[in-house]
Amino acid sequence: MTPNSFSHYILNIFSEIGSLILFLKEVLITSIKYPSSRQQILEQIWQVTMQSVSTTSMAGFFVGAIMAIQFAMQMSEFGAIGYLGGLTTSGTIREVGPLLIAFLLSGKIGAYTSAELGTMRVTEQIDAIRCLGANPIQELIVPRFIAIVISSFFLLGAGLIMSVFGGALMGYLFAGVSYEQYVRYIPSLITLPSIISGTFKSFVFAFILGSICTYQGYKTTGGAKGVGRSVVNTAVLTMMCIVVADWITSTLSDLILKMITETIH
Amino acid sequence: MIHFKNVVKRFGDRTILKGISFDLDEGEILFILGTSGTGKSVLLKTIVGLLRSDEGEIYIDHQEVTKLSEADFAPIRKKCGMVFQHPALFDSMTIFDNVAFGLRKHFKMSEAEIKVKVRNALTMVHLTGIENKYPSEISYGMQKRVSLARTVAIVPRVLLFDEPTTGLDPVTTNAVNMLIRDLSHTLGATSIVVSHDMACALAIANKIIVLDQGNIVAQGTPQEILQCRVPLVEDFLIEVKNDSQLL
Repeated sequence: MTPNSFSHYILNIFSEIGSLILFLKEVLITSIKYPSSRQQILEQIWQVTMQSVSTTSMAGFFVGAIMAIQFAMQMSEFGAIGYLGGLTTSGTIREVGPLLIAFLLSGKIGAYTSAELGTMRVTEQIDAIRCLGANPIQELIVPRFIAIVISSFFLLGAGLIMSVFGGALMGYLFAGVSYEQYVRYIPSLITLPSIISGTFKSFVFAFILGSICTYQGYKTTGGAKGVGRSVVNTAVLTMMCIVVADWITSTLSDLILKMITETIH
Repeated sequence: MIHFKNVVKRFGDRTILKGISFDLDEGEILFILGTSGTGKSVLLKTIVGLLRSDEGEIYIDHQEVTKLSEADFAPIRKKCGMVFQHPALFDSMTIFDNVAFGLRKHFKMSEAEIKVKVRNALTMVHLTGIENKYPSEISYGMQKRVSLARTVAIVPRVLLFDEPTTGLDPVTTNAVNMLIRDLSHTLGATSIVVSHDMACALAIANKIIVLDQGNIVAQGTPQEILQCRVPLVEDFLIEVKNDSQLL
């Protein structure tokens, strides 16, 4: 890469970030000044949730199972197998659950939304909406954005419930932990900060996904090839941004937790 | 009715429209012809503000529109109905809801009134009994006609057609061209048609503009265009003569 093309590449990145910020500003202003209809938002929430609930639940089940197997081996050595359910569920709520659901949503809803909006752009449906007196941000973007954020909470819940079942089954099969034993320490090990941390992460990841997929789809140019490019960009960018955001939110929540603990003591 | 004055449009380093000027009176039909990539669709989109010109002035009904904000464009778009190159129908809506879309957004009407207007618009394009179907359940030619119905449903004073016959078979092409002529006359609308079809332009246009590389190379009535000696126009005319000889 020559210095010239490198500077052009960096300039492009900053130009894209600027463009995304302006897009989000427009989405925010539109959602306040011209709220989308409740029916449109509910329809989108229903669609996003129904599209992903089976995948998320299945993935949640297996994540719980995998974590239970991993923890069971080490915990039985320390005679702490009774805490298997609590530890597995706490880890899933704080870290694995939100991250996994964000990845799944990125692959499924992110790609779908980006392709749908991109196709609408290249087949001039978005132009037609403008010509027919409507605001495409209000009609298309805001309902999808809100739906992705709200649905991610429902999907997180579904994934977590299934992870308990997956973990309990593996705990029983591989470590001989009964269901009662598995769930006994879940309430004591899942603290309010871990729930807040998991929920906050889930919100941040959903916000990132909603921003990137709607932006990429809405700004699509260049026909079918352009739609393909938008879908790939959505998948790659959301994964990268979610991982970076996970590191930032984990560091931040650890710092906040430490500060709270020190204040209490 | 429509007045272009030295309109320039650029995309980055490329100048697509290089100082376009023309006038169109109320009720006239203007055909804009030219090879692909000469800025015909760009010109059409600047009228309804889907693209903004970089220089020059555009007047619609004596109102200068190039500096209008997106919100201020609403009354202009109510006046100007546009039929796109693609049918651009909304896949998730039935044909009825597609045609009713503009009526619901532009006007405050009861559902009963909307029903009558939708039915009338579909009848104008010779389509009936498909209101409850989805766009994917009808043919491409029918989708194009639904797109026409959606545009005429709001009874615009200006009709803009962006290559309305692209991708259609010759029979449907002819039917759509006749529809354009009939709708323009029925609604008394001023029409601008972007097309490659010189034969159709000669048959139904009041004025013809030929664009090349962002410049107007010929402009006039069909009779004047027939006498024109610009090479690009001659190429278009030779095509028409060849087609008529084949017949």
